[in-house]
Amino acid sequence: MPYTADISRNNPGCFLFLLDQSGSMSEAFGGQPGQLKMDGAADAVNRVMDAISQRCSQGMDVRDYFHIGVITYSTDSSGNPLIGTALPGTSPDQPFLPVSEVVEAADVEERQVKESDGAGGLVDVTRRIPVWLHPVAGFGTPMCAALDAAAHALQEWTAQHPDSYPPMVINISDGAATDGDPEPLAQEIMGFGTNDGGVLIYNAHLSQMSAMPVQYPADENSLPPDEYALKMFRMSSVFPDPVLEMAGSMGLPVTEGSRGYVYNADMVALVQFLDIGTRAATDLH
Amino acid sequence: MPLIPPKTWRIPKDGNQPGECEDAFRVVFPSGGPTIMRAAVSDGASESAFSRLWAQILADAFVDRPLDLPGLTEDGLLDWLGRCQEDWHAAVPWDRIPWHGEAKARTGSFATLVGLSLSTADEPGTFRWEAVAVGDSCLFLVRDGHLLVSFPLDDPARFDNNPGLVCSNPVNMGPLWDGVRRTGGECFPGDRFILASDALSAWFLARHASGDIPWETLEKLNVSDRDPWVADQRQTRAMRNDDVTLVIVQVSPVES
Repeated sequence: MPYTADISRNNPGCFLFLLDQSGSMSEAFGGQPGQLKMDGAADAVNRVMDAISQRCSQGMDVRDYFHIGVITYSTDSSGNPLIGTALPGTSPDQPFLPVSEVVEAADVEERQVKESDGAGGLVDVTRRIPVWLHPVAGFGTPMCAALDAAAHALQEWTAQHPDSYPPMVINISDGAATDGDPEPLAQEIMGFGTNDGGVLIYNAHLSQMSAMPVQYPADENSLPPDEYALKMFRMSSVFPDPVLEMAGSMGLPVTEGSRGYVYNADMVALVQFLDIGTRAATDLH
Repeated sequence: MPLIPPKTWRIPKDGNQPGECEDAFRVVFPSGGPTIMRAAVSDGASESAFSRLWAQILADAFVDRPLDLPGLTEDGLLDWLGRCQEDWHAAVPWDRIPWHGEAKARTGSFATLVGLSLSTADEPGTFRWEAVAVGDSCLFLVRDGHLLVSFPLDDPARFDNNPGLVCSNPVNMGPLWDGVRRTGGECFPGDRFILASDALSAWFLARHASGDIPWETLEKLNVSDRDPWVADQRQTRAMRNDDVTLVIVQVSPVES
């Protein structure tokens, strides 16, 4: 059955985050005036990379169960695409690092957080929090250029890891590409894969419209009246059965045919969405 | 009651180094008391941190600090476990843990445990075996060419990703006593006891269910054949890619 490959160091999993850093990312996020989309997106990706790192941790060291890449996209004020990466030593065509190098690349900040004291109360404790991405908002949204870079990287990665669990691409964007039609590129990427299935693309659409949130829609009729929503929906993979089952067990509102697409998610929903990918492979070896 | 020297294996998951195997085992042959052999297998959960350490502490404690298995109580078990938890806490290098290991270390390590004890019984010349288990590491008793006991699991379909586990952090131990299983019985010449971690146990039960004699397959393997044999079972998906630990203890077929 596809999407059931064990994830091991011989056959690692793969996450590729695509992060829109266009001007609209400086708008308010999730209906909260105090938080901007760029803050929420960077925070969510940092949290998920933290979660992946912790899953691979054996205490003192981490095992390279995953390769992670982060491609950022924006333009300069003249509209020239700026396609970058967030991890040191990587490039848009070769964005991946094994987790053991990802953890070394984190800026570790000490923050005061509240945690349960185990007796029904909360206590302030100091925790070390890893940060890879800082909030940035530039100008345009060259999503096609970002997907083109992703396609090159994923074609190479899948050729090198034919027996791995298929890569998961997580695109966080305002959805309004300024450099053409991204759908054919997304379809091309979904055509790549391993012996265990095709590449999965999940889209978190942080729209410039203030329409109601939509999570994991299964058909086009449930999409909001946003001209970009249909395109982003079509660029999103249908959850394979094992992922659907796992998302259901996490209590997420999924049905047969649900796609990896959330529209105007708030922070909680965005982190849950990204968490689907990290939990999809439940059996690490 | 003479015992044939035990056969033991420990093979890491494909992709891991031998030193990264999170299973642990110990076999001892005490003298001067009623107990003639104690053996334990513990399988540290890959998802938790410092689980190899925890599995070894549990296996060592089972053979070095014997539990009163026939008279085991919840308080007695928690007492015994408390010392294991203290040992684990003292062995973790808390001041050197990197950020990614902190949360898992605070949560604690998790491991299964199956332990076997052979002792002289009250009636002279007779022997008893006692076993305890938490989780899906198993004990099999083969007598006269038949699988007599499969403990605590007897169905290959019951091995999943959520076995009962013993936690090194008392706060996160959950209702441990509900998951403790015990069994025992008389022991006879020729009895063969097999302790195994979950992947091999599931394989063993699946082969037995299909009419094979899995203990013969295991007994026949020379040391040099074991790694390629396990690799082959994994390749054909007859066995999950997981750490594999096996302890075979056989009572000599002829009483001396």
